[in-house]
Amino acid sequence: MGKAADLLPGTLDMLILKAVSLKPLHGYGVLLRIRQISGKALEIPQGSLYPALYRLEHQALIVAEWGQSENNRRAKYYSLTTAGRRRLREETAGWNRLASAIAAALNTTPEEV
Amino acid sequence: MLKRFRSLFGVLTRRRDFEDGMTEELRFHIDQYTEDLMQSGVSQAEAARRARIEFGSLNSIQGDCREARGLQFLDELRRELRYAARWLRKTPGFTLTALLTLAICLGANLTIFAVIDSVLLRPLPFPEAGRLVTIFNTYPKAGVDRDGSSITNYYERRGRIPAFASLAIYRYGTAIIGETGSTEREQITRVSPDFFSTLGTGPVMGRSFKDEETSYETDSVVVMTDSFWRNRYQRDPRIIGQKIRVDGLPTTVIGVLPPDFRFLSSEARLYFPLASSADQRAPLQRHSGGNAIQMIARLNPGATLAQAQSQIDAQNATLEVDDPQAKMMADAGFRSLVVPLHADHVAAIRPTLLLLQAGVLTLLLIGVVNLGNLLLIRAGSRAKELAVRRALGASRRHVISEVLVETTLLTLAGGLLGLAAAGGGIRLLSAFAADRLPLGSRIAFDARLAFVALVAAIVLGVLLAAPIAWFNLRRPLGDALQSESRSGTSGHSTQTLRHSFVVSQTALAFMLLAASGLLGLSLQRVMEVSPGFRPDHILTGKIAFPSKNYPNAAGRVAFTEKLVDKLGHLPGVSSAGVVTNVPLSGTSGKSSAAIKGRVLRPGESPRGNYSYGVGGDYFKAMGFSLLEGRFLTADDSRHGKRVCVVDEDFARYYWPGASPLGHQLFEGSEQQTDAEAFTIVGVVGSVKQVGLTEETAQGAIYYPYALHGDDVFVAARTSLPPESLGLTLQAAVRQIDPDLPVNDIRTMETRIADSLVTRRAPALLAVLFSAIALLLTAIGSYGVLSYAVDQRRREIAVRMALGAQPGQIRNQFLSLALHLLAYGVVLGSIGAWVAGRAMQTILFHVPAFDLTILAVAAAVMGLVTVVACLLPSYRAARISPVEALRES
Repeated sequence: MGKAADLLPGTLDMLILKAVSLKPLHGYGVLLRIRQISGKALEIPQGSLYPALYRLEHQALIVAEWGQSENNRRAKYYSLTTAGRRRLREETAGWNRLASAIAAALNTTPEEV
Repeated sequence: MLKRFRSLFGVLTRRRDFEDGMTEELRFHIDQYTEDLMQSGVSQAEAARRARIEFGSLNSIQGDCREARGLQFLDELRRELRYAARWLRKTPGFTLTALLTLAICLGANLTIFAVIDSVLLRPLPFPEAGRLVTIFNTYPKAGVDRDGSSITNYYERRGRIPAFASLAIYRYGTAIIGETGSTEREQITRVSPDFFSTLGTGPVMGRSFKDEETSYETDSVVVMTDSFWRNRYQRDPRIIGQKIRVDGLPTTVIGVLPPDFRFLSSEARLYFPLASSADQRAPLQRHSGGNAIQMIARLNPGATLAQAQSQIDAQNATLEVDDPQAKMMADAGFRSLVVPLHADHVAAIRPTLLLLQAGVLTLLLIGVVNLGNLLLIRAGSRAKELAVRRALGASRRHVISEVLVETTLLTLAGGLLGLAAAGGGIRLLSAFAADRLPLGSRIAFDARLAFVALVAAIVLGVLLAAPIAWFNLRRPLGDALQSESRSGTSGHSTQTLRHSFVVSQTALAFMLLAASGLLGLSLQRVMEVSPGFRPDHILTGKIAFPSKNYPNAAGRVAFTEKLVDKLGHLPGVSSAGVVTNVPLSGTSGKSSAAIKGRVLRPGESPRGNYSYGVGGDYFKAMGFSLLEGRFLTADDSRHGKRVCVVDEDFARYYWPGASPLGHQLFEGSEQQTDAEAFTIVGVVGSVKQVGLTEETAQGAIYYPYALHGDDVFVAARTSLPPESLGLTLQAAVRQIDPDLPVNDIRTMETRIADSLVTRRAPALLAVLFSAIALLLTAIGSYGVLSYAVDQRRREIAVRMALGAQPGQIRNQFLSLALHLLAYGVVLGSIGAWVAGRAMQTILFHVPAFDLTILAVAAAVMGLVTVVACLLPSYRAARISPVEALRES
């Protein structure tokens, strides 16, 4: 996972949870959705997506179900569980706190010290 | 067990689903991406190529996915299993030794455990069997430890002891079943009506006995076991109400017991009411148990053994108030003891079984230490390989799990073989000894045993892995990598560990050897005991008289006289006689006698002594020695002369230093009228009545059979091999009474041998265990010394190049072996002393610490060790310096 230079460590799980919280998605769909909702700013290394999905599934934060894709192929669709929803809420809140704290820190001017 | 397999199977099939799903999912991703790329105008080939590249290595992603799902562990395990299996295959000598060691040690342990489990551990096959107790009278000061219970006891206690939910009595016996001409003797049990309900079971068909059926007029009813119903009546469903002939009397079948019904070790297939007359229930008969009738009871829920005991004691005290015998019984130390039924039934065999288990556990310990040592040596030879792998990134966890997988694979395979060995052992036991052991018929190869084997194998695997893992992780990597030899240098601490393994192994084997020596010596001492008669060339058999055809003594006397006369005239028979109980018959009871005109000294308790009725030339047939006066003759019995013969012990107690001839005595503990007195006409040598190890000489009185009659044993002395007389004996009996079978036909020598089976079998097993232990120790010593020689090849070569003599080199290694041996023997002597102390209860006239035995054991141990160590020592001395130095 060291290749995810574009992504802060630990944020991939959060983004996946967010992506599948909107609508059940297959793996490739998750990739596209994250790219879409981040305005193409975030690029996820494709190789690290699946281990992350499997880990989240193992932690029972998401569940997988086989279904039909848009072009009628069998695909595995992931959706959020209740525990996953709770985790997403916590992580979002935590991230927001962190982000605003860092933003505040970075906006500090010499006069304010 | 099945569940486990199913769950393992589940994991494996789910695993395949998982793999298939993952492959499909990743392929879907790549295909979708390829399509998207193609839509943006890239050629198909290029799109596929880019999709692959951007996706990354499929293999490593799949690995990551598996790890994310916690499946990596299984893969690693599989790899390690393969690796371990390959190692084991590559070293067949080691693997075979290890598997054989485990198979023998675990097999022996599992076999003995199966016996302990079925005899000591598993509850009796009745509901809440832990609440079943037995109650018996004891008169320790009169030398009567166990006298069963009387019918009076039963009627006095029934319903009056609050701690008991119910109470019952029973008496083992035999009966003649069937019509004239096709009779057979069956083992039976006579029981009180509440016997089955006390056990918590009862007939599955028909009913149990009623209180009205306990008189002699109404007791012709029978409850049969399932096996009797099956074999004799082919499970006839209309059996209830049918009549069968028992001792010649028609008897109505009223019930059939469930198939699994078995009371303790009883072989009885028919149950009858235990009938009694009003006289037999009277207070005067309270102490007339004679060890024939036994009592069982079921404790109420919540009631304790102590409560039951105190209630019985209290009732006994109340009853004593108006009992004329009370004073005498109190002098005899009378008490009624309440003890758990199961524990009581197996009490005699318990120490022997526990000792055997301790013995095989020691054997297992030796085997494990041996394996540990061999594994450690092997680990030494792989040290460098391992060091390289660790340098290349194998983690500590990995090193440990690899060792664990290897040892556990070994012990599991060994456990499986051990289980198979135990299966054989149990079969052997069932074939030879099951009927000699209480509850022996329950010994079986079952799922419990398989589970114990599995647990034992896993525990052993972990135990064996520990020192190897320690060895592998202990040394700094650099050392192992830098050492010149392929196998790496041997550190001082591992050497110490190996040596201490050999020492402990030697000590344990020495201990086993000494213990089996003690058992063997004890057996020898028992066999040296003279039974008091000449047991060779005597055939004996039991005849039980049915009361219908032999209602009184006259009929029995007439029969025995005819029989003795017939036997006496057979070719090859020198003398024949009858007796009410032959020595070592397995049953015995004592009664008391009063010497005419003698009052008990203050504090003296009445003595229980054996009393027998004898007819024909019994004393001559058995080879008793006559010390004074004369033997009883056929004439005494025929004319009902009131004479008797006493044995040496009896004479010495009452007339020390004087002759008892001419003195008179009464049967029973009371003085009676002169007409009842028996005059002593002879003194015979004492014989062992119950067993050769019998220590307390209680004394015996022999009355004429006509005056002291009951069922008999017939004894005939012959110049032919006595076994050959069996059919002749049966034929002779049938000629006089065609309906009278003879059973329990055995020579006196067989009876003696049979009475020693609980001593001989453990001694033989102990010898077998020690032999295996010696072999294991030899393997261990050989292995360690060989390894030491290999390790020091260079050192030896250098020394030899510098002028050391081969003899010096050889002696150096031999002296190492002897040092280890000496430590082992010293430690083992302490162990042998502890073992000897623990064995005191089952040893006969053998001290816990016998110097001769220890010396012999040390000599055997030394011989085996030296032989095992000679080969490696000589090899060391033959090392060629040139070759050894060139090799490295």
